[in-house]
Amino acid sequence: MNLSRPDRRERLERLAAEYALGTLPSRARMRLTDVAKRDAAVAGVVADWERRLAVLAEAMPGINPSPRVWRGIVAQLGLDSDRAAAPLSWWERLAVWRALAVVAFAVAVVLAMVQLSREPVAPTQAVVIVLAGPDAKPALIATADRGQRFLAVRAIGGTSAGAGKALELWALPDGGKPKSLGLIPAGGLTRVPLAAPAETALAGIPTLAVSLEPAGGSPTGQPTGPVLYTGKVERFY
Amino acid sequence: MATAHAISERNHRLAELLSKVALGDQRAFGDFYRQTSAHLYAVAVRILRDAQAAEEILQEAYVNVWHHAGSYVAAKSQPLTWLTSIVRNRCLDHLRRRELDTVTLTPDDDDAPAIDLADERPTPAELLLAGAEARAVRDCVEALDAGPNQAIALAYFQGLSHGELARHLNEPLGTVKSWVRRGLEKLRRCLDAAGGSR
Repeated sequence: MNLSRPDRRERLERLAAEYALGTLPSRARMRLTDVAKRDAAVAGVVADWERRLAVLAEAMPGINPSPRVWRGIVAQLGLDSDRAAAPLSWWERLAVWRALAVVAFAVAVVLAMVQLSREPVAPTQAVVIVLAGPDAKPALIATADRGQRFLAVRAIGGTSAGAGKALELWALPDGGKPKSLGLIPAGGLTRVPLAAPAETALAGIPTLAVSLEPAGGSPTGQPTGPVLYTGKVERFY
Repeated sequence: MATAHAISERNHRLAELLSKVALGDQRAFGDFYRQTSAHLYAVAVRILRDAQAAEEILQEAYVNVWHHAGSYVAAKSQPLTWLTSIVRNRCLDHLRRRELDTVTLTPDDDDAPAIDLADERPTPAELLLAGAEARAVRDCVEALDAGPNQAIALAYFQGLSHGELARHLNEPLGTVKSWVRRGLEKLRRCLDAAGGSR
């Protein structure tokens, strides 16, 4: 099949376009791949179409893959994992670039909240987490007594997941994978149940995070959507 | 929203990293991964709807980058375009291969698993506009009629075949095929006229 002949140009354009779009049926797809390997002119037309269409993908929001992928690449290529500087996972990255700012802000917000509400902080109210977005504006405040088996979560402003989506709360253990604490129900003040009393359930957990997930929560058991908010677990006991 | 300027800056940065990767610079390779993997994973996961398969394809693609960064540098295409094409093609090969097996076994592909696109957000049509905006080719996309526009968006972002498009859009196969063909022709003329061929 000599597709690069001038009189076949129109047909080649059509095949290349559908190949790049992905609608070329499987057999034709395999045939075109073979022809493109041998015929540079055909490969060029295919590449033009790929470039035209790739423009469309550029604004697609990203989703961070599991750290498994990078580990697999390093292992498969036999790279020196120190020199290849294993990428920080998203929660480590967050920890690095925001830790200080967020802690300072969390404390300030808790103080402000206490003053504004003009209510004495109950002596048993011992765990406070202020979850903020990249703009450092608090979106959710979670509190618990140390012996309590739930987090009371208060949404601030118009914080909500939107239709067909859910906000999922994660515990980020030091050096471990995120553990889901469950979905945050819609509403101003809600409860997220804990498997154990807060003191135990949050032991060894310096940070919580909230990611945007499909309705019903992450299908993989790990965050799949963007991380919207993070907050440090402040213990007052 | 990524602007055209931000995208061209990013492409420039990535091209620099790739030329270092071509020389075996492992740190540059790590940086390149950090700056591109979320985009490519999103592309793969949308098409495959299978996190594990998407991870495998991503791993293969980056192994390929390490080995062939030199040939990319020589070809001077846009790095993210190059990589997006590699990942999409691998995903589509994966899907179409599976489809080939299914088609052989069950010629009536109404048995194919239903695809639930209802809860996806943003929708493919919105993504089409967002991407086009970034490239100032919004006019070309808007110039497409509703049918071709939808068919092309679903095929591109979700990897749907002609048959799946027909089922999803509830239109005869012939109509959908002609939407795709005419839509692509029109898109090409318009993008090329708008200077999209860089």
